[in-house]
Amino acid sequence: MIAVESLIKSYNSNRVLHGIDHEQKPGEAVVLIGPSGCGKSTFLRCLNMLEVADSGRITIDGVTIEGGRFPATGREREQQRQLRIRAGMVFQSFNLFPHLTVLQNIIQAPTVVKGVPQEQAEALARQLLAKVGLENKAEAYPLQLSGGQQQRVAIARALAMEPRVMLFDEPTSALDPELRDEVLRVMRQLADEGMTMIVVTHEMQFARDMADRILFFDGGVVAESGPPEQIFGSPQHERTKEFVRRVASI
Amino acid sequence: MSNAWRSSRATVCNFLLLFLSAGGAIPVHATDTLEEIKTRGTLLWGADAEGGAPYVYPDPQKPDQLVGFEHDLAEAIAARLGVKAQMVQNQWDQLVPALERRNFDIILNGLELTPDNQQHIAMSQPYFIYAQQIVTRKESEGLSQLEDLKGKAVGVLSGSVAKALLEKSGGADLRIYPGNVESLRDLKAKRIEAAVMDLPIAIYYAQPDAALKFSGVSFAPGYYGIGIRKEDKTLLVAVNQAIKELAEDQTLERIYRKYNVWDERQVSLKDYKAQAVAEKASISTIREWPKYLPLLLHGAIKTVEISVLSMAVAVIVGLIVVLVRLYGLPPLQWLAKAYVEVIRGTPLLIQLFLIYYGLPEIGIRLNAFCAAILGLGLNYAASEAENYRAGIQAIPHGQTEAALALGMSRWQSLHHVVLPQALRLVIPPVTNDFIAMFKDSSIVSVITMVELTKVYGMLATSTYDYIGLGLMTAGIYFALSYPASLFANWLERKLRYDRR
Repeated sequence: MIAVESLIKSYNSNRVLHGIDHEQKPGEAVVLIGPSGCGKSTFLRCLNMLEVADSGRITIDGVTIEGGRFPATGREREQQRQLRIRAGMVFQSFNLFPHLTVLQNIIQAPTVVKGVPQEQAEALARQLLAKVGLENKAEAYPLQLSGGQQQRVAIARALAMEPRVMLFDEPTSALDPELRDEVLRVMRQLADEGMTMIVVTHEMQFARDMADRILFFDGGVVAESGPPEQIFGSPQHERTKEFVRRVASI
Repeated sequence: MSNAWRSSRATVCNFLLLFLSAGGAIPVHATDTLEEIKTRGTLLWGADAEGGAPYVYPDPQKPDQLVGFEHDLAEAIAARLGVKAQMVQNQWDQLVPALERRNFDIILNGLELTPDNQQHIAMSQPYFIYAQQIVTRKESEGLSQLEDLKGKAVGVLSGSVAKALLEKSGGADLRIYPGNVESLRDLKAKRIEAAVMDLPIAIYYAQPDAALKFSGVSFAPGYYGIGIRKEDKTLLVAVNQAIKELAEDQTLERIYRKYNVWDERQVSLKDYKAQAVAEKASISTIREWPKYLPLLLHGAIKTVEISVLSMAVAVIVGLIVVLVRLYGLPPLQWLAKAYVEVIRGTPLLIQLFLIYYGLPEIGIRLNAFCAAILGLGLNYAASEAENYRAGIQAIPHGQTEAALALGMSRWQSLHHVVLPQALRLVIPPVTNDFIAMFKDSSIVSVITMVELTKVYGMLATSTYDYIGLGLMTAGIYFALSYPASLFANWLERKLRYDRR
């Protein structure tokens, strides 16, 4: 479902990703962990081209993008659009559109980008709202909702594009602890339904419970990867050991 | 005459001074002005040197010095009084009120000996006999007298004798100009068919121009006199004596010949007999508001038309400019930025002149209404573009990222996500500009548009009721802008999305 080959990304002279390779099967839930500034978020943002990689190749559900240049031609833009339609993204700061109601937030992209008829988009939106437990908030405005509710709407909004892959960029970091669970519950449900997903998070309990595989990022490379039992139980790499010890003590 | 050129802003400024003076800020002078002049050693004479040739104007060779037949005459009169002459610059159509405010001792600037003028001030013996001259383009035929001008577009100076004559004869499509130079320009640009002006002005400005000609002989002679405050009786006597002596020793003829304005008519100056002028009751326009308010409202309609259309241009062009500046190709971005900086960094007045008088030179001839809307609209577009830019840049980048991540194109994210939020943010500053536009639009009177402030100016200078008319005019402006402000508040409330 996802294939990444030797992905390299720098900001000016500062290299953030040193050639990442990654393969992911359909239905697999992968969690990225690692210290701050290790490149996890940048990796995620390269996958749906919010950042353009310097070099390397990304394939998601059969759509392939070569790194190295900003999409300029019509064909390149279409490739980019196809990639983004396949990869839904949830941000740390929700980024709901404050001028639209919850329902409008969800149906905006399907109608504008994919040309889905209004009623059909609305029906799907209400279905998704029910799924995230907010069916009675369709007419509310984002700023009338709690952070947890907003993030659940953001998940529904991404799902409305019917993506093949979901990317979560620290989805609970901006939330008070008591609001995190409602978001994590929705994510867990998605994983159980077989959604292919990559999650950048600091929630170690969550990573342990739901990840099929964990990638430990350090210094712009995948230092270690494996099932949660290996990473948390018997880490092989020195840096992984240290990181796990540190987060376990919190 | 008048060769004066007016900016409505300066006019408003003067009116403000008048309001203040009405509150008793001017002390009453008991001393004799003639004595005062002699003690001071200078005779202060009020005139308008802007566009003032050949009366009084900066010497083209030495622009820091004034010349002109009235300048030389003022020196000659001052010499007779044993003092030096010093010119005080004042807008021409405000000379009489300024004299009453004691800004200077006399008016010496083509002031006609008319009953209207003699209502408020005393006038000396005449020092010059002027007449009206029709000026046309070289190739024009058959426009040699007033009757021929019926149905034609004719340029005249605001507040001039020519304007009064044409209004009396009727039938001509009158265009009112702030200065004669402008009317001659429009004559050459074929916006008008003829211009009527005082002969000396025509001699100086139109005669040397190969594209123009004098059509028919000059007509409707009249007298220029020196304006003096009514209470300054000794000064009046002294000035009359000076004029008489200057005529007798042919100093007048020498001065007039020097400036090419001498003609045989001047010989009959000495035959002038002063006539008693009947006192007219002063007019209270507020008491007679049914007569004046409709005239003002008529101007107000023009103001609304100009403001609304100009703002429409500004709002749309401003949006295009900001989109190009933020999202266009680099050379276009630079162009949009340059547009904003150049428009903001130059006066609106000059932009209007360039559009109205400059563009015809490269073959683009807009009528005054279109030029006004284009000028105001393009000017405000720069300011709206900046408003939009602030609004767009206030929208967090995460909004664009979220839209892009959902598969929207750059334009779709702008159209559906960023602009709808940014436009809400800019409602207050844009409304502010709209209200400012109502007031700024008065500046288009310089390109012959007659709008509210211009109507006020014309009525005020003929009735001298600055306060009554001023209150009515201010009231109309307020009645226009306050609803706009209420509407903006309502819109802002309606479009709010952060209600909790």
